[in-house]
Amino acid sequence: MHYTFDIERGNFADAGQASSSVKRTLKQLGVAPANIRRAVVALFEAEINAVAHAYGGTIDVDIDGSKIVMVVADQGPGIPDLDAAMQEGWSTASAKVREMGYGAGMGLPNIKKNTDDLKIDTKVGVGTTVTMTIYLA
Amino acid sequence: MAYTEPAFKHSLKINDYLCQGCTTCMRSCPTGAIRIRNGKAHVNDNKCVDCGECMKVCPHKAIYIKQDDFALIENYRYRVCLVPTTFIGQFEQKYKTKAIYACLKRIGFTHIYEVEHEVEYIVELYNKYIDQHPEINTFISPYCPAVIRLIQVRFPSLVDNIIKVRAPSELAALIMSNRLIDEGASPESIGIFYVTPCAAKIAAVKYPVSHKDTRIAGVINMDFLYNKVKLMLRDSDNDAEPVNHSLSTKDVLWPLPGGEASLFNGSHYAVDGLQNVLNFLERLEDEAVDAQGLVEMRICDQGCVGGVLAINNRFVARKRLEDRARLFDDPSRNTSRYTRYNNPEFCKWIDEQMEIPEIKPRSIYKLDDDFQEAFKMAERMKKIEKALPGVNCSACGAPSCAALAEDIVRGDANINSCIFLNRHSPDSEEIIRSIWGDHVKTRKTDNEKNNQ
Repeated sequence: MHYTFDIERGNFADAGQASSSVKRTLKQLGVAPANIRRAVVALFEAEINAVAHAYGGTIDVDIDGSKIVMVVADQGPGIPDLDAAMQEGWSTASAKVREMGYGAGMGLPNIKKNTDDLKIDTKVGVGTTVTMTIYLA
Repeated sequence: MAYTEPAFKHSLKINDYLCQGCTTCMRSCPTGAIRIRNGKAHVNDNKCVDCGECMKVCPHKAIYIKQDDFALIENYRYRVCLVPTTFIGQFEQKYKTKAIYACLKRIGFTHIYEVEHEVEYIVELYNKYIDQHPEINTFISPYCPAVIRLIQVRFPSLVDNIIKVRAPSELAALIMSNRLIDEGASPESIGIFYVTPCAAKIAAVKYPVSHKDTRIAGVINMDFLYNKVKLMLRDSDNDAEPVNHSLSTKDVLWPLPGGEASLFNGSHYAVDGLQNVLNFLERLEDEAVDAQGLVEMRICDQGCVGGVLAINNRFVARKRLEDRARLFDDPSRNTSRYTRYNNPEFCKWIDEQMEIPEIKPRSIYKLDDDFQEAFKMAERMKKIEKALPGVNCSACGAPSCAALAEDIVRGDANINSCIFLNRHSPDSEEIIRSIWGDHVKTRKTDNEKNNQ
C-alpha cells in the first residue's frame, strides 16, 4: 500500500496528517501498539524536520506484508555535518522555531531510536532524503 | 468478522417509532458505531462508548436512556439516594440545598449521600497508583467512564495510562453501606440508588469495566428525579431538616472541569468536551505532547453538568454550582471522615475493592486477527474508497465513504449501497428501500400506489 503526502514549509499546525493516516492503517492491520508508536513518532519527527528546515517536500509511505518504509524527501539546505546532527541536543533550528517548542536537537536521534533501518542522503544546498524502515512482524 | 462477542452493553436505546433515520446521530458518533438500516438508526454495541453525543444531537428525541424502575426503592428499608453535586447545580440558588434534600426524602428516600464525600480518598488512591507506577509518565483519570471506553476502542495503546481505580460513586456506596451496617442495618435492607447525569455512568454501574460487584442497587436518571423534585419545591421551605454537610467547596466542584485536578497536588491537565478529548488522546498517542502527571478527561463539555441527563444549560448549571459551592466550607461543618478510614485493615480492604484489575484494549480498527488477511482487506478498502464519490452524503446508511468502504470489506454492506455509483442500475430502488425503508419515495412505491 502506498501513500503520498506533501510537506509545506513552516506549517507546523498541519504537520502530523501523514502520521495520523499511517497510524490509522497500522491500526487496521492490527500492528502491535509499540510498533505503531515507533512508526508514528519517527514519521512525525522527520516531517517536523522538513517543515522547520526545508522549503517543502514529500512523504512517501509503503506498507507491505512485513515492513513499513517511510521516505521523507525535502528540498532544503541539507545537513552539513550529519555526524553532529545525529547527536542529541545538536540543532541548527532558528530562534523562532525554538520558541515554538521545536529544535531541541532530538529529531534525528529520536528517529534513529524508533526505526530498524535509517538511511539519510543529504546534499548541502539541495536537500535531504530520510528513509526509515520498521519491521512489523 | 473479527469480533462476534458483544464486549460492551449499553443503556442507550433507540425508539424505532420516533426515529426518522435522519443520519444526524450517525454523523456525530465519535466511534462510527451507528448505521441506518430499514430507515432506522442501529447501534453497534462493540463500538458504542456511551458518550451520549447521539442523544444530544437527535432532533426527534428518539434516543433515550433506560433506567431502573423507581418503585424498586420500596424493596428496601434503608433507601439511600446517592447523588452527585451536579444535581443541586441544576436548581436556582433561592432553593436551599436542605429544601432540595427534603423533597428527596418526601419522594421516599431515607438517606441522602453526596458522591463527592469520598473524592478526597479517590485522589489518595490516584496518588498511590501513581507512586506504584514510576514507569508511566502520563496518567489518565478513570473518572469519566465514556473516556475509558473510548480509549479501549480508539486508542488501545493508551489503556495502560488509565489509573486503575473505580469511580467515586462505587466508593461512596461502599462507605455508605458500611456506615449503615455500623448503625445496625442488615446488608439486605440497604438499597443504594445512584442518580446519574449521563449514559456512561449507568453503563459503568451495570456493566463495570472492573467486572466487580457493585453496592449500587439501582440507577435513576437525573432528569426524572429533577422533575419530581421541581414540582414539590417551594423557595419558602425553611423548615427542612438541616443538612449535615462535611463537603468542602472543592469537593462540591468535583463534577466541573478541573474538579479532580484541583484536589491533585502534582502536575495536571483538565480536558473537557468530546473533540478536545479526541484531539488530546490523539496527540498523546503520537507522543506529540509530553503530558506529565494527571490528565483529567471529561467527554462532556463543561464536565458532568454537560451530561445528557442534566436538565439545565451547562453554563447556567456550572455558574449555579460554583455559587452554591461557596456556601459549603462552613467552619462549623463536620470535617471528620468516616471513622473506619483510621483502620489500616479497612483501608486495605477498600483499596482492593476499588481496584480495576485490567482494562482490555478492544480496537475497533483492526480488520482481522490475521495480519496477511487484514493487509488484503486494507488494500481492498483503499481501492473501494477511491471508487466512491467522497461526498460523505450518508445515503448508503454509513456515516462516510470511508466507513462504507470498511463495511464492504467486512462483509456488512455492498458497493451497490452507494446511490451515486448505483443510480442507473435496475436494482437501485430495492437497495435504497433496504437502507431507508418504506418512508422513502421511490418510483416503485409510486407505481404501486397508482395501481391500487
